[in-house]
Amino acid sequence: MAANTGQGRSFATFLVGLTMACVGIAYLSTGLGKLTAVVGVAILLVSLLGFLKIKPLEGKPAQKAGSTAMKLVGAFIATFGWLLTLVGLHVTDSVGGRIVLALLGIAVTLFGIVYILPAAYNKNAIWKT
Amino acid sequence: MRLIRSGCLCLCILALGLSISAVAYCQAAAPAAAPAATPPPPSASAAELKDAAAKAPSTADLQKGDPGGTITGTINDVPPADSKVGVTLPDVANQVGQNKIAINFTWTLIAGFLVMFMQAGFAMVESGLCRVKNANHTYMMNFLVYGCGLLAYWLIGFAIQMGGAAGNANLGGLQTLSSEHPLALFGKTWGIFGGSGMFLSGHTYDVGVMVIFLFEMVFMDTALTIVTGACAERWKFLTFAVSSVLMGAFTYPLFGNWAWGAGWLSQLGTNVGLGKGYCDFAGSGVVHAVGGITALAVTLIIGPRIGKFNRDGSSNAIIGHDISAVLIGCFILAFGWFGFNPGSTLGASANGNLRIGSIAVNTMLAGCTGTFGAILYMWCLKGKPDASMSGNGLLAGLVAITAPSGFVSTVGAAIIGLVAGVLVCLSCAFIENVMKVDDPVGAISVHGTNGLWGVLSVGLFADGTSNYGGSWNGVTGSVTGLFYGDASQLAAQLVGISTLLGFVFTFSFLLNLGLEFFLGQRVSAETEVAGLDLPEMGQLGYPEFVFRQESDIFSHTPREFAIA
Repeated sequence: MAANTGQGRSFATFLVGLTMACVGIAYLSTGLGKLTAVVGVAILLVSLLGFLKIKPLEGKPAQKAGSTAMKLVGAFIATFGWLLTLVGLHVTDSVGGRIVLALLGIAVTLFGIVYILPAAYNKNAIWKT
Repeated sequence: MRLIRSGCLCLCILALGLSISAVAYCQAAAPAAAPAATPPPPSASAAELKDAAAKAPSTADLQKGDPGGTITGTINDVPPADSKVGVTLPDVANQVGQNKIAINFTWTLIAGFLVMFMQAGFAMVESGLCRVKNANHTYMMNFLVYGCGLLAYWLIGFAIQMGGAAGNANLGGLQTLSSEHPLALFGKTWGIFGGSGMFLSGHTYDVGVMVIFLFEMVFMDTALTIVTGACAERWKFLTFAVSSVLMGAFTYPLFGNWAWGAGWLSQLGTNVGLGKGYCDFAGSGVVHAVGGITALAVTLIIGPRIGKFNRDGSSNAIIGHDISAVLIGCFILAFGWFGFNPGSTLGASANGNLRIGSIAVNTMLAGCTGTFGAILYMWCLKGKPDASMSGNGLLAGLVAITAPSGFVSTVGAAIIGLVAGVLVCLSCAFIENVMKVDDPVGAISVHGTNGLWGVLSVGLFADGTSNYGGSWNGVTGSVTGLFYGDASQLAAQLVGISTLLGFVFTFSFLLNLGLEFFLGQRVSAETEVAGLDLPEMGQLGYPEFVFRQESDIFSHTPREFAIA
């Protein structure tokens, strides 16, 4: 079905919701600001539901769902590597130690991004069938 | 055999790099000349000002015309506060101050206009590297991303990024951007996100804020448009639009704040003594790595194009439809980069800002050596000086020099660009053959991999000669890398790289995983095979072209020239 009026309307609703939410945040200290923020978030949720409703009309893409658990594990490992680097800033004061821990953190993150996540997506890849 | 040839080539490049480094060392070892004695500053008195006013050309003189430009611009052009008293010393001083800010405003705005024009370059490169059946869709993504990003940045993104970035004397102080939300951790205070500047209203309705908004906004849009290239030929237009709005509103501004908006990465120097904090002069990390890494996250979710990989995992080169557009687009980008890097001084008239000449030359050189790196790699190993990879080599060199351009010598810039040119070829092959990720334009390698290399290279090649007002990120002294004696700067850069990979990637991945649930990221298989122009945009990019069968195109793909 591709692009259609439903998509256009939902996107317009999304933009209106985001704008109202931002106006509300900008004036959050006032009562009217709080109300506007709540209305904006509500409109954003309506737009997301609109997206969800028209999603099946698009047709089937040329891809198969991979392992969700593995995707989340990959994302977790990527974040864990970053946290390792941050903790490394505080466990040692030496520049050498911080460099080693930063490199270790980067290696762990790359393991998640380069190995785990592609494996999760390529496990049931459509080009393998 | 291929490994041996690659190794030999890398050794040659390493030897070339070492030779250039030796030249640089010899230059650095030469004794500095003693500073010349400066004459005492001339004094100005009210009598001298009156004398100057008396000698200034009269209206009658000016009515004769000034073909030589010798009598235009005199004391008569300085507006006096009190016309009865005439021009006084405070009037002159105020005019000098305003001239300084005017020069910096003009410089920054024109640099921003150049960066804005890079959108045209990106559109041409990305569309040229895609098939003709997707040309309209790819051009339209590059067109709409400008509006999506601008709107989101005006609504909230700018406030998150620059809302606490007060203190830039080049642009008049920007004192209204004074709301950085901190987090106290391990006995230190770290900036997390800004708060002033939503809608550019209230007290941020300020001339200096408008200038910094325009400049930062076009940078943000550059990051957004990188993603459209990696996801071209199968990204649903609606999802692209929503994803771009969210990236312009949250993903880019958050990292931008941490690096440029008084956030915690810029405080690594003041808080934990790591060099001058995370240093990214013009955005190898903030702009290019954020764009490239987000592109990787979305491309993983969206999957490869139909026909890209065979059942055995080998890949097919899917050739773009217009190499002339690609190469002209690369030149437009290289032109725009003169706004990107020299413009990042945010002024031409302030202490240390005359380094803009050096920054511009570094930018040219790195682009040049990047092109050579990629051309020679492809020519020596694949037999042909591949055009698209040459273009990517130019862009890789430019991306890599973006962060260190303000801190390194020309020799350092040449080495950084050369490494980037080779790195982009290796990275493209790795991402395609090992990770099985389909990136039609090489955006992940050009901007992601080389953005990270650029960030790292600051920690290696910064030569300690730059002086932007005597300090950087609140730490006195000049940015100095490992090769010039400061290992702690390298540590700060590594923390930045870890944040780009660990935080930006994960944040983008989870955000787009959410969009996959609500909207779906990819068009249907039927749409993809037909080409996205008609189903998604309702109009062909080139209606008078005759399409060949896909199978026909694949059978004519010169596999030996492919990077795979």
